Amino acid sequence: MSARTLLVPLLRDNVAPRFDLAVELLLVGLDEEHQETGRQNVMLAHSSADELCDFILRQGVSAVIVGGITEEYYHYLRWKRVEVLDGVMGPADLAVTLFAQGRLAPGDILFARSDGHAA
Amino acid sequence: MTPKNALSPAGEAVGQPWLRDLAGLPGSAFLDALDRFPVGVLILDKSRRIRFMNRRLESLTGFLRQEAYGLPCGHVLRSAACVRGCPAAAGGDSPSLDTDLITRGRRKVPVRLSVLEMDAGPGQVFHLEMVEDISRLKEAEKRLAAPYGTGALLGRSREMERLLGLIPVLAQSDAPVLITGETGSGKDLVAEALHNASPRSREPFLRVNVSPMPEPLIESELFGHKQGSYPWADSDKPGAFTAAGRGTVYLAEIGDLPEPQQAKLLGLMDRGLAIPVGGSEGVKVAARILVATNRDPEELVRQGRLREDLLRRLGAMRLHLPALRERQGDVEFLLRHFLGTYAAALHKEVTGYAPKALRLLLDYPWPGNVRELKNVVEYAVMVCSGKLVLPVHLPQHVAQHAARPAAPRPAKTPGRSRRSAP
Repeated sequence: MSARTLLVPLLRDNVAPRFDLAVELLLVGLDEEHQETGRQNVMLAHSSADELCDFILRQGVSAVIVGGITEEYYHYLRWKRVEVLDGVMGPADLAVTLFAQGRLAPGDILFARSDGHAA
Repeated sequence: MTPKNALSPAGEAVGQPWLRDLAGLPGSAFLDALDRFPVGVLILDKSRRIRFMNRRLESLTGFLRQEAYGLPCGHVLRSAACVRGCPAAAGGDSPSLDTDLITRGRRKVPVRLSVLEMDAGPGQVFHLEMVEDISRLKEAEKRLAAPYGTGALLGRSREMERLLGLIPVLAQSDAPVLITGETGSGKDLVAEALHNASPRSREPFLRVNVSPMPEPLIESELFGHKQGSYPWADSDKPGAFTAAGRGTVYLAEIGDLPEPQQAKLLGLMDRGLAIPVGGSEGVKVAARILVATNRDPEELVRQGRLREDLLRRLGAMRLHLPALRERQGDVEFLLRHFLGTYAAALHKEVTGYAPKALRLLLDYPWPGNVRELKNVVEYAVMVCSGKLVLPVHLPQHVAQHAARPAAPRPAKTPGRSRRSAP
């Protein structure tokens, strides 16, 4: 497997629930052995799904981990040969680790569920 | 009655003290009532994690309550409001706000969010969040605001009056309706009007145009597919009949539906089950079916392009849209109506038609019906720089029509002999 660049839109420390509204991005480099080669946090001036797609293609990103993404952008990225793991909920770090281990799938829920007693 | 939700993780909320007795009702009865509520409802705890999600919201978001239970609300609801500033975080009740959410099926849906704070005792603060699908409202707003929108069905002729009178009656039935009429006569508008006037109007209206689709895609669009049934099918996908829920599925050109899918549609109507591609078990279908064709359905049967048994099932109720040339008085009415619409939209001071231009327009046979008339008026208003539309402002083919020898009128209109409902 060749070196890859992974992009995770963020909402605080979590995978962003919306691709189109993300302004903070995490870029992770992975080598052939799936080891991290570097991380970079990027802040966008404003949120725009179109501009985010351009950014992904310009940066040569090969995989995106995100929560919600509309069909139009999902298929566009897939058509551009970018792997999209959508429907992922949870901490971004954990998502990156699982992805590097080949254990992350679309729709994975990584949040710990609270026991329900809010008091 | 034992509530269904008592068995689900969300039912754990029943055990909480604040829900044990609510205005004399046991908590389970309260949740059961919320489950039957016609808008989406969430109950969130103090840290805005989901404690309950009703069935309506399950169907809107695509997440089951079991999956959503205990998760941060914003990651399940995925509404723009959650990202830009959670309305529940501010505390207290928040005014309703219009936003949108992205469903599990990757669809963006406009919604209205209302959040109420519930104080259930010391340290027990919960939020009740109501999520209403406002797609239909937004579409209607857009249509009213947009000068280029489809608008409503318009007409003052006796033919149209009769049709407009039938729509509310047929809308109350669950039976399929076959809509016939020439291209541009407004079949899509009739289908939408039938849905909007029906008790299903709050549910989705899905229009499927099968004409440009390859056969495998048609089958997947209509009946859904299971993961792996196509090279590109990386997950299960519901078809239109399932996605519409208790709404309406409108097939825009039934004559273009390939024979195997016609047989499958017939099976669906007989058994009320949609079998996804690659699946063996049927999914219950509650949607109403509307179909349309711009051709004579009996002729389609004779040509072998439409199954006779399917036509019998679909065509029990028929609505025929008359061609514009058959609608006495409607051409002039529509010419004036669209002139006003486009003059306002294009900021022009055009107020009417010069007599010669009006004569040309009234003599024109309008083979493209209302759609063509709208386009011609839009063009004329755009080109006209004065107050009256002159012959020179009309598209060449309309202006020159009078100079041509009379063309034969189109043959008998499809379905004309059976234009009425039973």
